[in-house]
Order: sequence, then C-alpha cells, then structure tokens
Amino acid sequence: MERRPAEHFDRDLEAALVRGRAMPVPGFAGRVVTAVRADRLRRAVIRWGSGLSAAACLVAALMLDAPSEEALIVEARSLVAAEESAQFHELLSLADDLALLQPVIERPALIEDLADGGS
Amino acid sequence: MADEEEDRRLMGLVAAGDDDALRLLVHRHHTRLIGYLRSEVGSQATAEELAMEVFIRLHRAAGRWRPEAKLSTYLIHIARNLVLNEWRRRSRKPTSALESAPEPGDAAPESGRRVVELEEAFSRAVAQLPEEQRTAILLLVQQEMPYEEIASAMGCPVSSVKTWIHRARARLKELMRDFYGPES
Repeated sequence: MERRPAEHFDRDLEAALVRGRAMPVPGFAGRVVTAVRADRLRRAVIRWGSGLSAAACLVAALMLDAPSEEALIVEARSLVAAEESAQFHELLSLADDLALLQPVIERPALIEDLADGGS
Repeated sequence: MADEEEDRRLMGLVAAGDDDALRLLVHRHHTRLIGYLRSEVGSQATAEELAMEVFIRLHRAAGRWRPEAKLSTYLIHIARNLVLNEWRRRSRKPTSALESAPEPGDAAPESGRRVVELEEAFSRAVAQLPEEQRTAILLLVQQEMPYEEIASAMGCPVSSVKTWIHRARARLKELMRDFYGPES
C-alpha cells in the first residue's frame, strides 16, 4: 500500500472512528421500549415477593373479576400501600433484599396460579 | 442548547412513564451510543445489548436524574461502566474491533478497498490501546466531546484526559507507522 502523507493522520483517524458512529439501528427504539416494559413488570413482580405483597395479591385476586397480571399488580400495590406500616415491614424484613433473588422469583408460580384460578 | 432542553423535557416525560418520550429519546441517542460501544467491545451484537441495558438503567434512574451534565455524557458514563463490567465478566480485553469492521467488497474499486484497509488498521490499533487511552480518544474524536465532558463521563480530572489523549495519539502513530510517510 502506498504510504500516505503524515499530515493526513488526524483526518484519517477521525474518518475511521466517525464512520462507525453514524449507523442507526432500525427498530432499536421499539426494542428498548419493550425491554423497559418487561423490566418495569419484572420489578413490580419482585416486590410481590414479600408476605405482605403475597397476601395483598391473594385479596386482589379475589376482588377482581378478571385478574390479569397487570390488574393484579395495580390492585395489590394499592392494597399494600394502604396496609403497609414500618413495623410490619421490619417484622417481615424482606422488602428490598428480595431483589437479590430476582433470578429465581421472576414470575413466581403463586402469581400465575392466582391469575389462572380467578379467571 | 436546544438539544439539551429537548433531552430535559423528554427525561421529565420518561420519569412520568411516557414510553413515547422514551422511544424518542432512544431514537435521538442510540446511533452514537452504539457506535461508541461497538468501538469499545468490537461487536455490534454486544454493543446493542449493552446499549439496551444503558437505556433500561436510564429509565430506572429517570425520576432521580438531575440535568447537571448533558444527557449524552450521562449515557456514556453508564455505558463505560457497563463496558468495564463486561470486560471483568469476560476476564479479558477485546482483542480487536475487526468483528464489526466492514468486509472489503469484491466490487469495491481499488481506492475504496484501500480506505477500508486503512479503517480496519485504525480499528485494530485503537483496540490495542490501554482502556483509558482508548475511551478518551473515542470520546474526543468519535463522540466529539470536549475535554470537560470526557472528564465528567470518565470520572477523572481534565489533566488526566489530556494525558491519555496525548499518549493515545503517539501510540496510534507508532502502530500505524507502516501506513504513513515521515512527518515533515
């Protein structure tokens, strides 16, 4: 390969690096939104891991005519918000620590059973 | 400045759970973010996975985000942490950026093939730089970030950034010496 003038070095470096910058990925924004929605749902489900949340989930399943997963989350969270107290939380001492168990409690069978049983 | 204001507006909407605003925000930033990540990890697929994780983390933090720095700087900061985690996970550095480098086309004219060859050589050379030097030169040249923003994204003093960039240029010139004539 013919050697290029040394003065072209910076220009060539910029051209080589910038070329990789300008490559839009079709559909990427949509994939992110889907992933964010899944993340949002997963984190809501994780919060159901406490005894209080499970109880709220059970009550919500009985209260709702058609307990879809989304509807259960909304109803259970509202029940938890109404019943939650610092003392009770401390007693159960589960709260955020359950995040550590994320891989094993994603979509727990309890929730699916409740959803199936109420429909 | 208008771009920054739009980013702030969109982040406010994202914090309120507006997925359309998130879609718009991703659309505005994903191209450069993925370009940076691909240059760091050498793989388009891994770069897209990491960029996805960057935006998920951005979404989680949207309610707490304060516009003290540009959003693009914040994104790079998250991205760099993920890159460092990725390397720790692999327990090795990426060997080269060749995986993402364009392949010379059969029908490409001679001049086009030479350009591709030069770009591949630059990609290999950049991949050989120490991590701080590579990130600093990528952020300066590819992302067109000023020194202060690079320092903010990398969490270091501006003087360190200047040193890394100076060393990166010198090392790149050395690695690319076969392609260039002597300096006049």
